[in-house]
Amino acid sequence: MLRLILQRVMMLVPVLFGITILSFLLLQVMPGDPVEHAMGTRASAEDLAAMRRLWGLDLPLWQQYLIFLRDCATGSFGFSLFYKLPVSRLVLERLPVTLALALYSTCIGLAIALPFAILAALRRGRLADVLIRQLFVLLLAMPPFWLCFVLILEASLRLGLFPTGGLGTGVLQNLHRLFLPALVVGLSTAALIEQSLRATLIDTMKADYVDTARAKGLSASQVFRRHILRNSLISTISVIGVRVSWIIGGTVVVEKIFAVPGLGGLLVDAIQARDFPVIRGLTVCFAVLVVLVNLLTDIAYALADPRARLT
Amino acid sequence: MRERMKAFLLAGCLAVSSLALSASAEARTLRVAMGTDAVSFDPIATSDNGSIWTQLLIYDTLIRPDKAGTGLEPGLAKSWTVSPDGLTLTFQLREAKFSDGTPVTPQDVEYSLRRAASEKSDWGRFFRPITGFKIQGDHEIVMTLDKPFTPAFNNLALFSAAILPKAKLEAEGDAFFEHPVGSGPFVLKQWSRGSKIVLAANPNYWQAGKPGIEGAELDIVAEGAARVLKLEAGESDLILDPPLNQMKALEAKDGISVGQVVPYRSDFVMLNTTKPPFDQEKVRQALNYAVDKEGLIKGVLYGAGKVAATAMPVMAYADPGLEPYPYDPAKAKALLAEAGLGNGFSTTMLVNSSNAAHRNVAVALQAMLGAVGVKIDIQMIEGGTMWETTKAGNYETALSFATSDTIDPDQLIGFLAVNPERANAYHTQWKNEQLNALYAEERSTVDGDKRGQQFQEMIRLFKEGAPDIFLYHPASAWAVHDDVKGFEILPTSNFRLEDVTFAD
Repeated sequence: MLRLILQRVMMLVPVLFGITILSFLLLQVMPGDPVEHAMGTRASAEDLAAMRRLWGLDLPLWQQYLIFLRDCATGSFGFSLFYKLPVSRLVLERLPVTLALALYSTCIGLAIALPFAILAALRRGRLADVLIRQLFVLLLAMPPFWLCFVLILEASLRLGLFPTGGLGTGVLQNLHRLFLPALVVGLSTAALIEQSLRATLIDTMKADYVDTARAKGLSASQVFRRHILRNSLISTISVIGVRVSWIIGGTVVVEKIFAVPGLGGLLVDAIQARDFPVIRGLTVCFAVLVVLVNLLTDIAYALADPRARLT
Repeated sequence: MRERMKAFLLAGCLAVSSLALSASAEARTLRVAMGTDAVSFDPIATSDNGSIWTQLLIYDTLIRPDKAGTGLEPGLAKSWTVSPDGLTLTFQLREAKFSDGTPVTPQDVEYSLRRAASEKSDWGRFFRPITGFKIQGDHEIVMTLDKPFTPAFNNLALFSAAILPKAKLEAEGDAFFEHPVGSGPFVLKQWSRGSKIVLAANPNYWQAGKPGIEGAELDIVAEGAARVLKLEAGESDLILDPPLNQMKALEAKDGISVGQVVPYRSDFVMLNTTKPPFDQEKVRQALNYAVDKEGLIKGVLYGAGKVAATAMPVMAYADPGLEPYPYDPAKAKALLAEAGLGNGFSTTMLVNSSNAAHRNVAVALQAMLGAVGVKIDIQMIEGGTMWETTKAGNYETALSFATSDTIDPDQLIGFLAVNPERANAYHTQWKNEQLNALYAEERSTVDGDKRGQQFQEMIRLFKEGAPDIFLYHPASAWAVHDDVKGFEILPTSNFRLEDVTFAD
C-alpha cells in the first residue's frame, strides 16, 4: 500500500511539469490580453505597454515560466493580476467549499443509487427495473440549470425548508445550506452510479463463484451481500473517482445559481478576465486533485478487492 | 444510515432556528443581493462594477457627481474655485475624519492623487495633467496644471481619485486594501470573496444623521433569477439587476416594488469603415434607418431602455433636440440603391456569446436588416477575445456597448468618435477632421456654454457620419421590499446606501 502511495506521489512530479508547460503554452496561444481587459477602453498604447512591463508580461516566455516555477516553490503559485493576492490564497479560500460539495453530493448520490440499483438488479426485466431505469435516464437528461430552479421554487420558496443559496457558518449550518446544490450534483452522480452498478450486479450474479457460494449452502442474502454486492461495488468506486474529478472543476452552473463560491466559478472568472496566474494556479491545483482522487480510488479499490493489492 | 438521517434533521432544525435568530437581531442591516463581487478595494487597480460600487460606499472623493448625474457636488471638499485660465484648482476641505478617527488632511489628498497618477495606476492618464500641489494650512490645497485640460477637474469625481489615509497606507502597503479605511459612509467589516461583503456604518461619517442603516450585507448571487427568488423568499431586502423579463411579475407582487434608471451606457453595432461597403457613409446611414429601435427595446429589453440618437449617452451638455435616426426601411433601401447596392449585400456580425441580451438583439437585427436586403451572418465570439479582434480590424460589424466613467462627455467621445486618440473611433477607423479639431478645442475650453456647443457639434457630426448603428441605452433595474426607503441607482450606475432607511 505504501509503495502504491509513493509511486503515485512520484508520478505527480512529471504530471505537474507537463501541466505547467501545457498551461503556459495554451495561455500563450489563447487570444485576449489581461492588460487590455483591465484598461482597454481608456488607455493609450504607452499606458498599456507600461502596465505590461509592470506585470512582467513583456518578459520572454521562458523567463515567465521560471518565475512561475519559483512562485510554485515558494507556495504562492504567482500573484493574481486583478485580485493582487497570492493565487494559493484565492484557491485555498474556495477549495474547502468545492471539496465539501464534492463529498456531500457523492454521499447523496450513493445513498440514492444503492437501493435502486440493487432493487433493479434483483428485479431485472420486470416493471420495477424498467421504471427505475427510466427514472434515472430522466435524471441524467435533466439540465442542472432547470433542476436548480425547480428545487429552489419548491423546497425553498414554497416549503421554506432550505435557504435559496449562499454559505453559512459552521459545519451544521452548511450541511443545511449546501443540501440543495449537493442534491442537484448528487442526482446526476446517482444516475451514473445506478446504471453502472445495476449492470455489474447482473453480470456478477451470473459468475461461477456465485454459483459455488450458493452450492455451498449460503443463504440468498448472504450470497448477495458477501459475494455479489461487494464484488460489484469495485466498479462503482471507479465511477465515483471519475465523477469526483469532474465535480471539482465542473459545477459552475450550480455554483452560480446557488451562490456557492467554489473553484469552478473562480476559473470561469479568471478566464474571462485573462488572469493568467490564476488560470495557471488552478490548472495545477486541478491536476493535483485529479491525481489525488485517482490515488484514493486505487486505495479504495485495494481495500475492497484483495487482488488489487498484489499488483 | 438512520443515525445519519437523524443528524441531518437535527442539523436542519438548528440551522433554521439560528437563521431566524440572526434575522431578528440584525433587523436594521440592509441585505442586498448583487451579481458581481468586488475584485479589490484598491481604487487605482480596479475598473469592474462590483469594486467601484463598494469603494464608493467606503471612500470619499473631493467632489462627486450629483444624484441627477448632470453636475458636481461637494464631497470631502466643501467648496472650490477654478481659475479663469483653468490652470489652478483650489479646494477647501471640510472637517472630516477617516473611519479610524484620524482627520482627513490636504496631505492625504496630495498623496492619494499622486498615487492615482502613478505608473502603477490603471487610471493614470486621468490625473497626470495635474502636475503641482500646494498645501495651505490644514484645510486648503491648490492644484496646478501645466496647460489647460478642462476634464482634469471633473476627473477628481472619479472613484479612482478616492482620498486614502496617507500614513496608514504607507505603513501597510498593499495589505491596507484588505482592511481599507476611508472617510465614506461605511466601513468594511468582512469580505468573504465570492460570497459576501459586510459593511458597517462609519461612526465618524461627516454627514450628520447618515447612514440611516446600521450596515449592509452585499450577497454575491451571480444568477439573476436566483436573486429574484432570494428577494421573494425574504432573504434579501433589495436586489440589483433582476432579469428584465421578470420585472412585470415582480411589480405585481405585494410588498415588492421595482425601479429603473437609464445610466450612462449605450449599445450599438460597430462598423469597420475600412471594409466596403461600410466605407460609404450612405450605407452606414441606411443601416441606421433600417433598424426599428423601439421594437428592439420592447421585444428584447421588455421596455427597459431608451432609443439612442448616437452611441453617446445622454449626459452633461447633451442636445435635447437631437433626434435619433427614424425607423424608415424605404429610405434605407433608397440609400442603399444610391450606393449601388440595390440588391443588398451580405456581411458578418460579431456577438459576445456570453451576453444573453446581445444574442437576442443580434437575431432581431438579422431580421430587420434582412428586410432591406442586408444578409447578416452572426458569429458568436468569446467575450475576452472581442476587443482584440475588433482592435486588429478582423471584423465587418460587431455588436458592442460603451459606458462612461465620468459625467463629462470628454472621455467617451474621445473613445468612440476621435481617431486616432485612444481607440481609432472605437475600432471603426472612422475619421472626421472637424470632430478631431473640436475635441482638441473642447479640452482646453473652460467649462461653460461654449464647451457645451462644441460637444453638441461633435455629437451631430458623429451621428451624421454613423460609424456605428446606434441602438439604445439600456436601463439598470432593481427591486426592493416596500419597507426599504430611499434606494435608487444613479445615472453613474452606483448607489448611495447612506440615503437608505427602513420604514417602521
